[in-house]
Parts: sequence; C-alpha cells; structure tokens
Amino acid sequence: MTSGVTSSDINPAIGGMLRSARDFLAHEHSLFRTLDLKPILIGKGKATFSMLMPADFAAADGSVHGGLYTIILDSIFGLAVFTALEEIKPIATINLRTDFVGLIAPGARAVCEAECEAVNSDVAHVSGRLFAEATGDLLATGTGAFMVGTKGPIGGMRL
Amino acid sequence: MTARLDRIRSFAAATPLAGWLGFQADESGDAAYRLTFQEAHIGNPAIRALHGGVIASFLELAMQAELAGETGGPASTISLSIDYLSSSRPEGMTAHVRRLKAGRRIAFLEAEGRQADGTRLVAVARGCFKLG
Repeated sequence: MTSGVTSSDINPAIGGMLRSARDFLAHEHSLFRTLDLKPILIGKGKATFSMLMPADFAAADGSVHGGLYTIILDSIFGLAVFTALEEIKPIATINLRTDFVGLIAPGARAVCEAECEAVNSDVAHVSGRLFAEATGDLLATGTGAFMVGTKGPIGGMRL
Repeated sequence: MTARLDRIRSFAAATPLAGWLGFQADESGDAAYRLTFQEAHIGNPAIRALHGGVIASFLELAMQAELAGETGGPASTISLSIDYLSSSRPEGMTAHVRRLKAGRRIAFLEAEGRQADGTRLVAVARGCFKLG
C-alpha cells in the first residue's frame, strides 16, 4: 500500500482507504501489529503481503498452527476484494476453504498472494496461497467467497 | 477429571495458539469448547466483530482437541472449510464438535460456533484431519 507497490488502476478512493488501513494495521491493531505486515504488490484485484509468523500462534509440535494460515488468508483475501471494487463498500466473508500443505517455524516470514477472480451479483470470489518467504515452499492454498455491500458500516471489512 | 479431559487439557497447554484464543474445554465432557473473548480477536474495530480467521482457528482447534481427547495422539489438519452464517459479536464463543467419520488414518469432523448463550449460530466448519 505504499506508492511503490500500489497499482494506479485501483480506484483512488479505495487506494486511500487501503493506505489508512495499512497505517492502522501496522501501528494500532493488536493482532496485525504482531504480524509485521509488509505490502509487496497491490493491484486491481490483487494483494500480496509479507508477514512474520509469531510464536504466539504455534501448534503443539512447535511449528506455526494452521489457524494462523486461515487468519492470514481471510485477511489478505478481504484486501484483494477491496482492490477490485469501484467504490467503497463493506464486505464480509461468506465462506473460506484452506488446504494445509506445509509447515513453517515461528519467527520466519511468509508471503500471502491473493487474487479476486470475479465480483458477480455482489459476491466476490477469491483464491490465493501462502508460502515461506525464504524458500518459496508452499504452506497453504485457499479459496473464499465474500459478500460485497453488507449491512455493516462503510469500511466494515472483516479484517 | 476424566482421562479424556486430561488429554484435551494437555493438548491445549502444549499449544500456544490455544492460549492466544483463551481456549477452554467444557468440563461436562459434551464435546464443547469455549473461546474467551479478547480485544485482539476483533477484526475491524469499526464493526467490532470477531475476525473470521479467529473463528476458523477456534473451530479448527476445537476439532483437534476433540481428536486429542479421543486418541491422545497428534492430528494434523489437511483441509478446513468454514461457512459464516451470521455476523459475530465482540464476545466469547462456544463450539460443539461432532465426529462424522474416523478411520485409522483420516478423520472428518464438524464444529458449530455459537454466541449469545448458544442461541446464535455464527459459523459451521468442517475439517479433514490426518491421524498419527
């Protein structure tokens, strides 16, 4: 969401909202602050972020629990939906499927790539994957559907 | 304390994510689990709902805990699907887990997440787990 990674094909109002969201997530939101989110690419219908895998989210075997994978996929999928919109509308996750492929150790960084495939009849369809930043090893893939234009307040994204 | 509850609590104690979620097992032995609400579980403060991924993590952990209670052995998640049926509130959540099918190597479970003293069905998740 910095100027260097944000595509000019995003609606300016959406881009402004995403920049505000970036500042909020990076500095004030207790969950996302711990993930140290860094934008890699923001384009129309596309969002790619790098993030830290904190030890607070470890599983019993010492690796990062898959629950964090789902938290990340849901979050970055939501941002990808926003980049595809022509105007700011609240969104909410309808459903999400995660396939767990690989493990990563706490303290490492991962990259989440998300693409909004289509927005039809106020439903956005998103797919993406999560992989280890250092090795490129696949950690998880996901697909999800999001309601666009929910009854929630403007900016009511499920982040 | 039953052996089953003992195994579930051991599983939760060894899982840092369980601490972050404020995860607890119901002592009734009714395959029921609880998420203890914390501000960090909120997604967007503008709507003050639980983060959808947090709900998914809680239901996944509840299904893993149920398997840990039954077998005591590890279970790794192969896939998880979740449907969000209602908007959530900034409060705790309970999960009820149902075992659909368990073989020697693979198990399929389903979990319901409810709020408002169990009257509000917020999400339903289905998971596929590898045993051992």
